[in-house]
Amino acid sequence: MSDTASSRLLSGRSLAMAGGLVVVGLLPLAAGASPYMLGLLISSLILAGLGLSWALLGNLGGMVSFGHAAFFGVGSYASALLAAKLGVPVLLAIPLAGGVATLSSLAMLPALRLSGPYFALAILAYAQIFRILATEASWLTGGAAGLQRFPGLPTVFGFNFAERHGSYVLVLGMVVLCALIYVVIRRSYVGIALRAIAESEDATRVVGVNSTLLKTWMLMLSAFIAGMFGALNAHIIGFLEPDYAFSGIWSVMPIIGAVFGGYRSVIGPVFGAVVIYMFDQVIAKSLIPVGHQILLGIVLAGMVLLAPNGLAGLVGRIFSRTGGKHHARA
Amino acid sequence: MLETRNLSAGYGAITVLWDVNLKFRSGALTAIVGPNGAGKTTLLRALTGLIPHTGAILLDGAPLKGKTWDLAAQGVVMVPEGRLVFRDMTVEENLCLGAYPERCRGDLSANLERMYSFFPRLKERRSQLAGSLSGGEAQMVAMGRGLMAQPRILLIDEPSLGLAPVIVNEVFDIIRRLKAEGTTIVLIEQNTRIALSVADDVHLIRTGKVVMSEPAASVDLDRLHDLYFAREGQGA
Repeated sequence: MSDTASSRLLSGRSLAMAGGLVVVGLLPLAAGASPYMLGLLISSLILAGLGLSWALLGNLGGMVSFGHAAFFGVGSYASALLAAKLGVPVLLAIPLAGGVATLSSLAMLPALRLSGPYFALAILAYAQIFRILATEASWLTGGAAGLQRFPGLPTVFGFNFAERHGSYVLVLGMVVLCALIYVVIRRSYVGIALRAIAESEDATRVVGVNSTLLKTWMLMLSAFIAGMFGALNAHIIGFLEPDYAFSGIWSVMPIIGAVFGGYRSVIGPVFGAVVIYMFDQVIAKSLIPVGHQILLGIVLAGMVLLAPNGLAGLVGRIFSRTGGKHHARA
Repeated sequence: MLETRNLSAGYGAITVLWDVNLKFRSGALTAIVGPNGAGKTTLLRALTGLIPHTGAILLDGAPLKGKTWDLAAQGVVMVPEGRLVFRDMTVEENLCLGAYPERCRGDLSANLERMYSFFPRLKERRSQLAGSLSGGEAQMVAMGRGLMAQPRILLIDEPSLGLAPVIVNEVFDIIRRLKAEGTTIVLIEQNTRIALSVADDVHLIRTGKVVMSEPAASVDLDRLHDLYFAREGQGA
């Protein structure tokens, strides 16, 4: 950690992490996973990206969000509508949708004055506003009947993103990119300041940190990332309705994934989301077809009890035990 | 020079400080002494904008501008009381955070080395979590973090609080060195004896008002204590 003193933002370690993510991520392709399996993996990576955006706000910004479905839904509708009504190329519509989600997050700025559970409750209520908007503004969104006719992912230089393998690679690349952005921020002055804010906002202000501004940036960035993954998901699924795009699932699953994987690390939310989603879909569903989510709850409770820092903490603990990592003086 | 004119401040409906007029000379160490609840910390919190105030705060004759976080950029840096360090961060991360203002980010390693010359022990502890430090070390981290901001005016709140006498002496040796280097220091302290030993000017605050302002050289400790404990009848 002492190399925070150096201004090298992308250390060898974080690049190795990104490389490792790509290699692990490409394994299913190399192993010739079935289209069904790839479909599940794509969904799990969408949740992983959403989990990263949630953890960015939760871990760095110190704000627990129960409303990421709002950003996800706004992103998915924005991208679908931009592509369908204005003819914006899909690969451009996706980042633009992230921008629209960022704009929607500005409506939440008053909630930044709240902290802890009050913030969480405010954002929970806030998420409902957009579901209602999407339902009522039927002239634009198609209302409760949904939105069906919008373009899917394109083919670029002969590489078909609409096909399962292509979508998978695109989503994987986005997850890795967001993980790198997260790492760069965490290692910067801003990242150190954000961690300090979580401990004592007054003491952080005294050293010259505009904490309100930094928290605003984190909220906007988190909304941007969540919106982009919502957009990706929309173009892959090809169908939107308010109850789906703004479903509480999009608020809850990233939290479960991040807590399971270890929300304090960068890699935890990614692996947590993938492991939890695949477990739910492949194992839990085959054991209990209806109400399989109950197994998720049991697994999560077990994880919190046995390894409060999640998968990432568990792996770290095993490594420090075998590697004989030197311990700081108590 | 930092100066307050008719400064009043408090919490909500409760006013703690009443019309405080103080001058903090450049290059000097000004000690603010007074009993518990006199308003010493409130004064620092008002100076740094953590709580609202009425009246004026002037830096070199011009009103101090901006919010709390703008002050560090202007060289007005506070070392909060209670050895407030960020416990889940390493010592060095704590220190680096002190260099957050744009103008301090230039040569971070030179800045760190200069600070470590004051606190050699912190260099040994650089990669340790600040939460695991002893009280004296934590106080040093809090002061080191302040130094990293290359302060023109350093506001130190109760550095002796809860520390063993040996450690208090160590902390005050460092304060003496800082003063010798020309840093303007405002020191809040309950320990009048040790405050007098380093101060150039002394102000006594009691129940939110300044009741005595004198050069430290001319302060008589007995008379100061009479005022401190409000024993006017028996004094002198």
